Amino acid sequence: MTISRREPWLLLLPAVALLALGFLTPVVGMLVSSVIAPEGGGVTLSNFERLFGSEYYLGAAERSLRLSLIQTALAVILATPIAYIMSRATSWVRTAVLVVVILPLLTSVVVRTFGWVVLMGPAGALSSLPGIELLGAGSQGLLGTEAGVVIAMVQVLLPFAVLTILGVMSSVKQELEEASRMLGANFWRTLRHVVIPLSLPGIASGATLVFALSVSSFITPRLVGGVQLPVLAGTIYVDSTVGLDWPFAAAQSVLLFAGVILVIAATLRLGKVDR
Amino acid sequence: MRKNRMFPAIVGASITALALASCASGTPEAGGESEERPYEGVELVVTSFGGDWEAALIAGVVEPFEAATGAEVTLVTAYSADALAQITAQAGNPQYDVVHFSGGQELVAAQNDLILPIEASALSTYDELQPLAVEGMADGYGPVIQVTPVGLVYNSEKVTEAPTSWTDVLDPAYAGHVALTDFSNTYGVLSMLRVNDALGSSIDDVTEGLTALGNLAASGDAIVVASSADLQAAFAQRDIWLAPYAQDYAETLRQAGLPVEFVIPEEGITASFITANVVAGRENPELAEMFIDFSLKAEAQQVFAELMRYAPVNTTVELSDDVAGSVLAADQFDTIERYDSQKIADNRQTWTDDWNSRISQ
Repeated sequence: MTISRREPWLLLLPAVALLALGFLTPVVGMLVSSVIAPEGGGVTLSNFERLFGSEYYLGAAERSLRLSLIQTALAVILATPIAYIMSRATSWVRTAVLVVVILPLLTSVVVRTFGWVVLMGPAGALSSLPGIELLGAGSQGLLGTEAGVVIAMVQVLLPFAVLTILGVMSSVKQELEEASRMLGANFWRTLRHVVIPLSLPGIASGATLVFALSVSSFITPRLVGGVQLPVLAGTIYVDSTVGLDWPFAAAQSVLLFAGVILVIAATLRLGKVDR
Repeated sequence: MRKNRMFPAIVGASITALALASCASGTPEAGGESEERPYEGVELVVTSFGGDWEAALIAGVVEPFEAATGAEVTLVTAYSADALAQITAQAGNPQYDVVHFSGGQELVAAQNDLILPIEASALSTYDELQPLAVEGMADGYGPVIQVTPVGLVYNSEKVTEAPTSWTDVLDPAYAGHVALTDFSNTYGVLSMLRVNDALGSSIDDVTEGLTALGNLAASGDAIVVASSADLQAAFAQRDIWLAPYAQDYAETLRQAGLPVEFVIPEEGITASFITANVVAGRENPELAEMFIDFSLKAEAQQVFAELMRYAPVNTTVELSDDVAGSVLAADQFDTIERYDSQKIADNRQTWTDDWNSRISQ
């Protein structure tokens, strides 16, 4: 009896070992290096003092958090109806939509982002749309604007949201919807009171995944937003490669990490509440 | 699947290399004959800047080198800063044999013993080289293999009269059509120093240059690019007419079909130097030295000049009139003004912080 209980844990061992090696070790190393003084060791908070004393870095952190929350909200709002339609459609429609959703994942994010750079540039198709200046477009089109970054990022993130939400939505029994409709609720009411609440764990985990991907990405913000709209993931990259200031980059990573943990804790709570 | 076949091959190659390196000290020239090639099949990992630069490296260096030594070159794309970060992180177990730096990173690499000094005797080309190419070797850096002036790249369809001065970037006539380079890229720092000088200041006080360019970016009259790829996109899609940058990428843009020209402003010549360095702690440093020697040969230098407009550092190169007219001439080498690289290294972080706070929105 005791052995059969241990077996599942044994199956977990490879994944745990991989996590310990590839995730825990570097994270602990990062935490440690952010508070070690450069000469002769000893604990120092100078990296954090520099971080919290700089408008530039605080601005980048604020932008990272704000844009990631907007991107997450938009991705989830767009993904939920797609996932719902897929979960209720005939198998070939479902496959077709799945292909369309997954297709962008098969190209490199750099290539996709360059596509957006062309579309959003001063001569790009998007820049000639009426009302585009309401999104902040100027002489450089949507390039160098936060709206441009959000649009490009949501396209990158959408497949992750759709696939995660789809998994849970497919398991919501259609009979429950039929029961709700039979008892007089219309389509929207059924969606709001039956389907969405039952899918909430999937929506929450989709949001978590999208948020984590969003806050840590720097290629798209860099190519579309440019260096004048710094995000924390981008400043970490520059400070660790160009500046070679790893302890300071580590301090920024700790801040980013703390932010992600807080948001993940909050979304996971949200996912549990309605169950 | 490829991995399974590669692994024994690499191990085998390494063992062969070790065995051969310990008993035979073959000269590369003798190695040209059929069986006497001590480096047959040995892998040499070299960093590359990718794109057209890589094409020039393959045609000018990799192919002749492989043919002569039998070694197999693996090119890995890594920009200078990334390459330095990687060999720093891999210290003790480096994954590259030869690293190329374009932003003065060899200074830091040598200080941290990440690269090996190269003896003059290791280079068959030594006596043919410009003094400028080898002066860093005494300090433990690799030789300069490519020299490219930093100047102004402009769109020749939009700008009818070629710019002449560094201060032209500040000319309101170009407002909204200027691309500046971020300080994370050395060209950005060099062009700021140049504009600062042109405004009457010096490297000891860069406030004027920083303020002038910072305001230009903050007001939206200039965009800020970070890489050569960004620069290309800027000229191709973002209606940019003028940008301080280096001649090598101006040539890349021109060959890509963009209507751009390059000009060295009248204030004087500033150049960017690309060095080739032997990474410390690898098995075949002498093979790496041989590769670098191949980069300095007249044949390779000719290819660099023809494809990317690099000024030859080998004085025996004879260029066609067409090419010679658009690269730095040998006698111009003495007039290149070099900024004190130690001053740049000491102040770069302060300048970058200042720059960032000016340009970020």
